[in-house]
Amino acid sequence: MNELKKNKNKGFFSSPVKLSSNHLLAIEGMGKSEIQKLIERADYFANLDRHTNTKVLQGYVVLNVFFENSTRTRVSFELAARRLGAEVINISLTNSSIKKGESLLDTASTLNAMKPDLLIVRHPHSGAPLLFADYLNCSIINAGDGRHEHPTQALLDALTIKRRLGYLEGLKISICGDIANSRVARSNIHLLTTMGAEVRCVAPSTLMPSNLENLGVKCFSNMKMGIRDVDVVMLLRLQNERMTGTENPSEREYFKFFGLDEAKLALANPNAVIMHPGPMNRGVEIASALADDTNRSLIKTQVEMGVAVRMSIIEALNHTKNKMMKNSK
Amino acid sequence: MTLTVLKSIKVLNPKTYFNDVSDVVICNDKIFTICKDFKTEVSQQDRQINIYDCNGLTMSPGLIDMRVNIGKTENLTAIQKIACENGITSMVILPNQTPKLNNPSIIDHIKRQSENPNLTKVNIYGAATKDDHGLEMSEIGLMSEMGAIGFTNGNKSIKNSLVMRRLMSYAAMINRPIIQHAEDEDLSGLNKASTTLINGEMNEGEISTRLGLIGIPSCAEVIIVERDIRLAKLTGASYHVAHVSTRDSINVIREAKKIGLKVTCDTAPPYFALNETSLLSYNTAFKLSPPLRNEDDRLAVIEGIQDGTIDAIASDHRARSNDTKAQPFSAASVGASGIETLFLMTLELVHKKIIDLNKAISLLTINPANVLNMKRPSLEKDELADFIIFDENIPNIINQNNLKTSPTPFDRRKIKGKILGTFINGQVAHINQILKDKIIK
Repeated sequence: MNELKKNKNKGFFSSPVKLSSNHLLAIEGMGKSEIQKLIERADYFANLDRHTNTKVLQGYVVLNVFFENSTRTRVSFELAARRLGAEVINISLTNSSIKKGESLLDTASTLNAMKPDLLIVRHPHSGAPLLFADYLNCSIINAGDGRHEHPTQALLDALTIKRRLGYLEGLKISICGDIANSRVARSNIHLLTTMGAEVRCVAPSTLMPSNLENLGVKCFSNMKMGIRDVDVVMLLRLQNERMTGTENPSEREYFKFFGLDEAKLALANPNAVIMHPGPMNRGVEIASALADDTNRSLIKTQVEMGVAVRMSIIEALNHTKNKMMKNSK
Repeated sequence: MTLTVLKSIKVLNPKTYFNDVSDVVICNDKIFTICKDFKTEVSQQDRQINIYDCNGLTMSPGLIDMRVNIGKTENLTAIQKIACENGITSMVILPNQTPKLNNPSIIDHIKRQSENPNLTKVNIYGAATKDDHGLEMSEIGLMSEMGAIGFTNGNKSIKNSLVMRRLMSYAAMINRPIIQHAEDEDLSGLNKASTTLINGEMNEGEISTRLGLIGIPSCAEVIIVERDIRLAKLTGASYHVAHVSTRDSINVIREAKKIGLKVTCDTAPPYFALNETSLLSYNTAFKLSPPLRNEDDRLAVIEGIQDGTIDAIASDHRARSNDTKAQPFSAASVGASGIETLFLMTLELVHKKIIDLNKAISLLTINPANVLNMKRPSLEKDELADFIIFDENIPNIINQNNLKTSPTPFDRRKIKGKILGTFINGQVAHINQILKDKIIK
């Protein structure tokens, strides 16, 4: 008997999560308890010995379809699926079909014909995974779509915070950087506000999307004010093409006003932790020494938690589908 | 000699404010008489007579659609047919097709090609500038001699202020209006030459922030409208803003009209019937230009229609293939079909008690004719018999599967009303089964 099943009744939350949908497309719209269960299940996976047999998804086929370059997310998903015993096929479409002019729907129907159980998709266009969900029969996980959402990143961030600080509700969390173009920011805003945290967004006004406060956050263009007394400082990557031009005058000016250094961090809660979804621009968003300060920086933990969170999600989608099939019978 | 008699039909003629149940007699291509109780036995035996019992039906002049895009894959004759089936007896096509309608010979060619006594009449806007960059004036004098009734750069804004000033000045000289798609291309990200990285996809605001789509600020419209109004004042030109969509631009146009400038505007059904929340599911049928705005802007469009600031309603027809629409929102094409829903959606304003039927018909007939200096259609004795017959109260539903053009932004919308017949030059150009069943002789 495999060890996962043996462990099943040990802890309250050590059973697969049933979701309200066949897909994980966005955090917006997800309920508090659903999020909580996924995080707790992921926490359970994170605590398991790496050699524990968790292969419950034998024969389950996962297609990792990336229309945008990615290393860490793709590898993280692949590891998560493999640790569950699933078969994973990686497809990088950044330079094959797209360049041949095949339409997204044709690509989708081709993939559908291969009858996968799960499609993990990253796409440069906001909303593209929704289109896949409409046309494919399998479950879809959004691994990042344009500027819209990156739900698994927000879940792994939440797990990381929870493991370090113990809870989310009532925490003061600042998300700093290029909010306008960040899917990580949007997913985190939805997740953290749903869980009852106080979320602040800090960005130069050129990178702050309009009416952001309607999403339930406070907006700051002064980082010193924005991170005062916060428990978590979450930094976002500034894309190279935005470092100069009309959104920012220069890298050094950005670092001066929006880069995290000791002086600014001193304004936050003394125990405040630093997070970054990666890849980092040292000396632009964050002073290099801070990034490596293991007492303050949770950046490596975030990567580690990514696998556990993705295991809990893949398992949950399979579980949800089985339950739905049972009910329909 | 053929005679068509429409018995006891409600005649709606905005030009003369005539609104009464009468018998209408059409002889050949003209209206012979409009009277109470026409005696058919007066007519001689050798005449071919068609008598319709039109009790409960309404007749109005044929609709004028002042903004139709003919797409790359669309065929003009096919569009004329569809327009005809939907009550449009006259339409104006935009110059931004392939090839561009930017010289007199092509205007002449299209005029001749589209001439068909039994189909929707085609009028043409000539391209205001020869090139896509909007820098060189086209031969607008020669084009207007060939029948171009106004000048515009279609779905691109005339951007350069000096070019616009000269165009207005020249167009005023030959008594033709300049029609503008008002959008600051740098702000909306449609200016390909710009070094900025934006590429506007929808109205900017909370919804664009939630969806992660790039917003076009609503002021991109009024910035151009305000500049152009100042140039219209300077040059004395007739200036028409196409598809207005924001409260600010409507306010500015209202003020310009108050001081007597020759400024007019139209809007299209999406801008009074929908707002940006339709985009929440990334449905590309709602990807339009200008983009669907917020609820306050929508209400401003309705107020503008009510108080007459907005002169006309046009379909802004820009049909797109499913291949270009079944795409992620950012990659999908811009535009939606319109000629099949223009009348129905305008009628919805009547059923919602926003305007009365007479006003609705004016917005679709004499108003666009006034804006474009076209002959004002009228249902009077000896006038050309271009008219429609409709039932404004019959329950109906807009369904994409029953439409010939796509995509409609009004799919599955419950409405009331139906075009039953379209007559062009006194002849039946389209007749619905319901009307066929009413032929008594």
